[in-house]
Amino acid sequence: MRHVRHRSSLLVVVLALALIAAACGGGGGKKNNAAPTENARKGGTVTLSAEQELDCAAFLATCGNSLWGTFALGQHVLPLTYNIDPTTGKQVATNLLAGPATLETSPVQKITYKINPAAKWSDGQPITSTDFKFTWQTIVNRDDSYDKTGYKNIDSVDDSVPSTAVVTFKQGQPFGDWRSLFAGFFGLVPSHILQGKDVTAEMTNGFTWSGGPWKLDHWTKGQELVLVPNENYWGQKPNMDKVVFKFITDTAAESQAFKTGQVALMQPQPQLEQTQIKALPNVTTIANDRFDYEAIWFNTDKPPVNSKAVRQALAYATDRQAIVTQLFGPLKPDIRPIQSFTTAANKAYYQQDFARYTRDLAKVDSTMKGDGWAKGPDGIWAKGGQKANLVISSTTGNKRRELTEQILQSQWKEAGFNLTVDNKKSGVLFGELLPAGSYQISLYAQTPSDGDPTNAGGCSNFCSENIPKQPALSGNNYTRISDPALDTVLRNVDNELDEAKRLSEFKKESAMLADDVPALPLDPLFQPVYYYNNRLGGVVDNPVYGSFSTLAKWFCKSPSC
Amino acid sequence: MLTFVARRIVFSIPVLLIASVLVFFFVRETTDPLARLRAGTKDPTTLVREKHRLGLDKPLPTQYTHWLKDFVQLKWGTSFVTNRSVAADMKSRFWNTVQLIFWGILLSGITAIAIGVYSAARQYSALDYTFTGLSFVGLSMPPFWFALMAIQFLVFAPKNWLHLQNPIFYSVGIHSAANAGAVDYARHLALPVLVLSVQLIAGWSRYQRASMLDVMSADYIRTARAKGVSRRAVLFKHALRNALIPLVTVMAIDIGALFGGLIITETIFAWPGMGQFFVTAITNGDTNVILPWLMVVATFIIGFNLFADVLYGALDPRIRMA
Repeated sequence: MRHVRHRSSLLVVVLALALIAAACGGGGGKKNNAAPTENARKGGTVTLSAEQELDCAAFLATCGNSLWGTFALGQHVLPLTYNIDPTTGKQVATNLLAGPATLETSPVQKITYKINPAAKWSDGQPITSTDFKFTWQTIVNRDDSYDKTGYKNIDSVDDSVPSTAVVTFKQGQPFGDWRSLFAGFFGLVPSHILQGKDVTAEMTNGFTWSGGPWKLDHWTKGQELVLVPNENYWGQKPNMDKVVFKFITDTAAESQAFKTGQVALMQPQPQLEQTQIKALPNVTTIANDRFDYEAIWFNTDKPPVNSKAVRQALAYATDRQAIVTQLFGPLKPDIRPIQSFTTAANKAYYQQDFARYTRDLAKVDSTMKGDGWAKGPDGIWAKGGQKANLVISSTTGNKRRELTEQILQSQWKEAGFNLTVDNKKSGVLFGELLPAGSYQISLYAQTPSDGDPTNAGGCSNFCSENIPKQPALSGNNYTRISDPALDTVLRNVDNELDEAKRLSEFKKESAMLADDVPALPLDPLFQPVYYYNNRLGGVVDNPVYGSFSTLAKWFCKSPSC
Repeated sequence: MLTFVARRIVFSIPVLLIASVLVFFFVRETTDPLARLRAGTKDPTTLVREKHRLGLDKPLPTQYTHWLKDFVQLKWGTSFVTNRSVAADMKSRFWNTVQLIFWGILLSGITAIAIGVYSAARQYSALDYTFTGLSFVGLSMPPFWFALMAIQFLVFAPKNWLHLQNPIFYSVGIHSAANAGAVDYARHLALPVLVLSVQLIAGWSRYQRASMLDVMSADYIRTARAKGVSRRAVLFKHALRNALIPLVTVMAIDIGALFGGLIITETIFAWPGMGQFFVTAITNGDTNVILPWLMVVATFIIGFNLFADVLYGALDPRIRMA
């Protein structure tokens, strides 16, 4: 009996040691942490957390429009013509092309893509102009395409020479943001595999073909998606053997998984609670600006914000620096409010026109008085019996936005405006109130798909023809600003193909918007990236496509990271 | 015996039907299948078209009969959120929950029986008092609190104290990666199983103790001892067999309830099972998932209650005659 007990105890000890040894993983404990090296080590498996799971992998279709779908799969397997350079924020030709595409502007817009002769699909078939043509036809001909913008302007794609795709636009329908074609969230799909098939159905549950550095190993729904290197990739081969995206959709569980080391990297929505994570040993935080931003949007049809003077006065009444510091300061101490309808990450087009609006109560007084307003005994502005009572609506349940509203209430009260909060469910706000114009002031974000000026404010947000109208209420100009001079400039930006002229027109646009104040740009919405620097190396962020776009360059500092 | 089983099955059918009516009308009244579409589309004709396609423009009783017919044929449609087959997703989630329940039941059953037998055999001993105290602690401890404590003291603390790269026990998910091996699986399984087992062990060990004490005071046990049968043989061959009958039936009922009752444990440990599936569906108002989920769980609860009845009948012939 004693002997048995002794064996049991020994077994327990051995088991405990085995578990501890397993917990140490390949990387060992802290001892190994002291020897970080930036030499890219080959091999290893990394586990990353994904806070959302992709709905489907048919990236050309509506169901494939999830950002996390692009993060975890799309951008690693679909060949793209252009990408965002993380250092300059500019769109640059990828190694799919032999060089930057050439643009002809007359008599009609024509783009010539010279395909890199080394470019091939994972099955060894070359990537050809037929793939360009097939992708274009798929996007424009299918009813379930996510976005046909730009593609519907194309008249033809000449694939007579396999190594050269010539895209010709329709007469009078130039497309300024042409670098976003066959790029961004829409990469090429292989015609030799998908021709004659239902492309959405073929891709929905994942696919093993690839034209990028990685290919899909497996996707276990609800659990994980695993990438392995594409052996036939013609560019720099990935350093790691395997990348596991674990779907951890619960915010608390994601933080827990990171804190306990179960995942080596996470890219969550910014929350003040993450200051604890930032303070963990061996954790590197990337908190770069993205192109996404939040703004305070005014319904220019609703009094009193139908008055430009009132909107300007509200801009002078707002201490935007104090708001962004309170919202994001602990996570990103150097954060600044944005001064145009794009962020500082968009280095080519970022403007400073809204910088004139710093909190200045004297200017509030002079602007309001100039518009015929006078302060009542309660300290609130009034004009013709109408008080400056304002209502702001945002999405319910978003603590950050609720905090912003509370700060605005305090700041604007001091300036003579009475602000009440009436938040709605996101479906009601975006699906009903904003399109129907049934709001006065709103707080929400914009997510541009790239840094092109078409997406930075742009005609879709501020042209009068895009004011939603009954019955369909289509159009995205929820501010309902209608200014013929602004319309002209906005259209010029969209249609101009000469970069210098575009920039010049964009500057005019930005200045006019800062004068009209249909919205007040507030904060750059950054998505922080946290990773263990003693386990992972080579992580570089990208302002649009996130840190995952550089996944092929990442490396494990130990066999299991 | 067959008549007994058949009678019990026939009684279960109206219960299931009533459950389906309640589930259907409750879900239809509280969630809007078109909520996401309303948020996304700007075209009112789309809503009308979808309403017609989903049969939502028909009277509720008609909708119910159509839904029931599809449910029985396993035509559960696709999730409004993920567009994936609900039946396929449910199958995978169900399997994950089965794994959790299997290991939980195994651990809880063995431990509870061992504790129950010991406590009955050594009634009023120091260890009996200890087990009694611990079982009350286990019964009164909320699973979410115990789960958080387990994470703090079995995941964070050893990792920090021993300066490990990874924790000894994982607290998120079912494995680190597919084919990560049995050890990795065990490290993920340990804490959810522990949390699931605490209350089960506490409850079942009390049942087992009471049942054992009841049996051991029976005349036939006293007779067996008087005839010189050893204490060990009496305990395990005569008393335990009979004392297990009530526990087995309780276990059968509890297992049925566990299929839908692991919401907290699965949420805390991000275990991709039925509980987490339900929480996600409720959060997203995904009626195509909520309806079959509730029905599957109701079926299991009713099914395991039926099983408990049959089992009890099989183990104790007197019940069959009742």
